[in-house]
Amino acid sequence: MERDGSLLDDYVLSLAGGPRPRVCFLPTASGDADHYVVRFYRRFSPDCDASHVSLFRRDQGTGGVEDDLATHLLSQDLIYVGGGNVVSMLGAWRAHGLDAILRRAWRRGIILCGPSAGSLCWFEQALSAFHGAPRMVRGLGLLPYSNCVHYDAEPARHAEYHRFVADGMRPGYAVDDGVALHFRGTSLERVVSSRADGGAYLVEPCGDRVRETRLAVEQLGSAGPADGGDAWPVTSARGRTAPAAAARRATAHAKPKPVPA
Amino acid sequence: MNDRPVVDVAERQIFAMGGGGFTMEPNNPLLDDFVLSLSDVGEPRILFLPTASGDTNAQINAFRARFAERACIPEHLSLFHLRDSTRSLAEIVLGQDIVYVGGGSMRNLLALWHAHGLDRLLVQAWERGTVLAGLSAGAMCWFQGGVTRSSGPPEPIAGLSVLEGSLTVHADGEPERLPVWLASVRDGALPGGWALDDGVGLLFRGERPERAVSSRPGAGAQRVDAIAGELLRKRVEVELLGEGPRAALGGFDEAVQELRRVNRMRRGTSRGRG
Repeated sequence: MERDGSLLDDYVLSLAGGPRPRVCFLPTASGDADHYVVRFYRRFSPDCDASHVSLFRRDQGTGGVEDDLATHLLSQDLIYVGGGNVVSMLGAWRAHGLDAILRRAWRRGIILCGPSAGSLCWFEQALSAFHGAPRMVRGLGLLPYSNCVHYDAEPARHAEYHRFVADGMRPGYAVDDGVALHFRGTSLERVVSSRADGGAYLVEPCGDRVRETRLAVEQLGSAGPADGGDAWPVTSARGRTAPAAAARRATAHAKPKPVPA
Repeated sequence: MNDRPVVDVAERQIFAMGGGGFTMEPNNPLLDDFVLSLSDVGEPRILFLPTASGDTNAQINAFRARFAERACIPEHLSLFHLRDSTRSLAEIVLGQDIVYVGGGSMRNLLALWHAHGLDRLLVQAWERGTVLAGLSAGAMCWFQGGVTRSSGPPEPIAGLSVLEGSLTVHADGEPERLPVWLASVRDGALPGGWALDDGVGLLFRGERPERAVSSRPGAGAQRVDAIAGELLRKRVEVELLGEGPRAALGGFDEAVQELRRVNRMRRGTSRGRG
């Protein structure tokens, strides 16, 4: 749904399987921005049973889903979390009990995905640099790692993430724009990209230094099978899948990466 | 700006509106002019917090439309678009003369403030003499509790407890709220407090209600307490704004107009976006 991120959307839809998957959008991190909700429906309603939950419009009958939130979310095949401010989003989720519902959804095998804030939120710890000095944010903790997004898009991000990991943040994954991590359970299963030069990195402490290891990335749409359902065992298990995509500004040019220590 | 001294409790002001102001009364500036008059600064810095709405452009634009040409320095703070700002939240909030909080979801408002530490900063600002004003969710939040429709049907909700008692809003405009509030006060889920119609604002000095003012003829307010399981309801006297000389509200004073022009020029050359 992000600009140029449609390959990642195709990918995640291929995981949901079925002729018309049920997909629910959570635009909380944007403040339920109308344009984002519209973009979601434009992208997903042709092929999916699409809905959204707006936590800011529940009084006006325009909150998308009006019945019980838990019942609705737990009946989805895919929950798509939009980007924006992760601190605001987690705060609003907790106030409405959505954090607990999303944990249940994950345990039930509902696929959870999203770019940017929609990626950070699934991890135990995340680096948020949305405003001011970068800070560590506690996510829902489904994935026992840390996460850093927009790794190539913002010049200082690399050094900041390394510093946090050196100072005791959990080891974790740094992801360029346009690249997505696909977890099954808590294991990283695939790294896919909508662009040729997108990277993802495992960042972990190593003695008193920080080691960064570039992960193998499969480019979507190039070899063909990724956006179909066949090459990927979609239909077998829907168990515990959490692709975390960092798809914003997929066209941003990459800067050179230091060689892992 | 951030080292303003703490002021006496009696000098701290909160102006709680049951509805009205620029988001609800685009053609009636009486309440908003009253808000500006509460600051003793000639051209107060006024910060709008549209948090409860999810920072909608509609509210932000209405704020700008109302305050851009008035004797004040308006800016807004969007927690969803903090990326645009290089100042810390403390710098932004503690430098204001007035903070004006918009309506929307009270549950989200409090959750987001808490997540960003803004609740604490706002109480600090109040203790340092910044006027806190707001409508609907932005009014109830200062009390021990209110009635919200954040999850659809109206239900009681706890507030920040800066002020004692509870508040319910839109008593005339959204009639389904009032019975929920009355029942909550009767059964003790909420403490006694005030019910305000749209267009009515209640001014607190320190923790005491001082004046009730209104932008609309006929709009009212009541104080309700539960005594031995029975509700005691008292009408509150409301002053209709705009009946006295308008100059008292700072509308047409030539010196103020001049100051405005100068400040607009100054802002145009030296200040970035708000």
